[in-house]
Amino acid sequence: MDSLRHEKIQKFEEFVDRRLKPDLVHAIAERDKIFDQQKIFSDLRKNIENLEKNSVTSLRTLVNLGSEVYMQAEVPDTQHIFVDVGLGFHVEFTWSEALKFISLREEKLERQIEEYTRLIASIKAQIKLVCEGIRELLQIPEEKTVEGRVF
Amino acid sequence: MGKSEVKGTVTSLSSMFPAEETQKAAKMVEEKLSEKQNEMNQLKEFIADNTSLINLVQKLPDELHHDIMVPFGKAAFFPGLLIHTNEFLVLLGESYYTERTAKQTVEILKRRGKSLESKVDALKAVMQDLKAEASFFDSTASEAAEGLVEIREYEEDNSTKWASQSGSLELETPSVAEADNKMGASEDDDYARIMSRLEELEKEELAAEDNEENLEDEDEDANAVESDSNEDELTKAAEGDGDEDELTKPAFHRKKDEGYSYLDHGQRYSESQSRKQLQQFNDKEPIEEMSNKYKHQDLTNQFASTGLTEEPVTKGEISHGRIIQEDTKTLSPSINASAPFEKKSVQTSKSEFDSSKAFTGSIVEHTQNLDKSSVGTNTTSLQSSGSQPSKPVSRFKMQRK
Repeated sequence: MDSLRHEKIQKFEEFVDRRLKPDLVHAIAERDKIFDQQKIFSDLRKNIENLEKNSVTSLRTLVNLGSEVYMQAEVPDTQHIFVDVGLGFHVEFTWSEALKFISLREEKLERQIEEYTRLIASIKAQIKLVCEGIRELLQIPEEKTVEGRVF
Repeated sequence: MGKSEVKGTVTSLSSMFPAEETQKAAKMVEEKLSEKQNEMNQLKEFIADNTSLINLVQKLPDELHHDIMVPFGKAAFFPGLLIHTNEFLVLLGESYYTERTAKQTVEILKRRGKSLESKVDALKAVMQDLKAEASFFDSTASEAAEGLVEIREYEEDNSTKWASQSGSLELETPSVAEADNKMGASEDDDYARIMSRLEELEKEELAAEDNEENLEDEDEDANAVESDSNEDELTKAAEGDGDEDELTKPAFHRKKDEGYSYLDHGQRYSESQSRKQLQQFNDKEPIEEMSNKYKHQDLTNQFASTGLTEEPVTKGEISHGRIIQEDTKTLSPSINASAPFEKKSVQTSKSEFDSSKAFTGSIVEHTQNLDKSSVGTNTTSLQSSGSQPSKPVSRFKMQRK
């Protein structure tokens, strides 16, 4: 009987290591990506607000041609800005429209982050559950096998 | 070839190189290889980017302005123009920028490309080495699995010393042993025979000299050690014909010590010194000088370190004559190259390593020296074995054929 239990314990441990932990890692990586996007859009918003505040019409920038080789570029009219709306599309916005869009986008991103956070929490809970079960099996071997663990 | 007794050991390769360990080693090497492969891919990407950038930079000055979409952050663009199309701002590193024209920028980029390519070449060399290692480990693993067995035979006199040395040598140079095992077994047999012959001669000489002078053995020992180290290599490779006679005599002990870093440092040092001198002298044949040097250096070192009977160097010539024969097979080329009286470990390790190399090279070189030196120096001790020096020579000649 003990050997059977030990086998089961091993199986549970393997399950945790092979399924649950990688899932956790994936979820955390996805959430980080969304954090990055959120940061990008918040930076963009700040820049546009800056432009609006200073009424900048034309702009001179340095464009990276690749491998950190820059060339001067001039933007004669800053009124129209093309914003990436996903799926490879860029929409021409005026400043105010762009700001509205960005705020909408930021809300969506926040919701996504919340979802991922909940997913991560559930995976962590499952891992804890399995570990508890293993501990119980080890400490109280007389208990009947707890095969009813469902994940 | 009066072999007194022949002892032997049979060791299976799998015990020396357990199959699991070799497999693990092979896996590790494979991992490293894949890492290097990734680096190589990355470098190749950089090179491709560099070349495309060179093309772009060369095309841009064709127009005064270029219509482009100017990025604004990572998620927005502005329609705009590229102006000053001949002025490029290039990052040199450490936040240092420079403004250059198109031509100058192209030159900079070409220099970068060259350095990248040299890196790629270096990485290729490293990968090749890793591949060789991996193939070696694979073959070792397969052999160990097959149950290949390494057989070693010793002559009684030197068996203890040689056994320990060969054992340690085995550990250190499994590749050598294995390679030798696989490679010319016939060649090894010949060499082993020659080595056994030399050992016998040495013994006889030592026995004769012991009666006359004790100091002579020093030189012999130095030389003998060299030869012995080579002999060890040979025997290891050739599954020793038993000429790994125990160097009961101090000379032999020292010989072994020279060859193997596990033994006395003092001995090794002195022996290495003497060996260096020997070999240098072998080439130049100032035997007397060598003997004198032995006197001054080896005597004190050897006496202090080994505590064995060490013969005066005065008659080093005699020993030289005989030793030189052995030296032919020893580490002469490699030892000569090594810096004199450097670190002992360096010496010994070099000698060990070199012995495997010198094994093939030194024989050819020294045969001529042997002839001259043996003729000039063989006097008392070699009287009994006067014909013997010539025999090894002849054998070498035969070997050369």
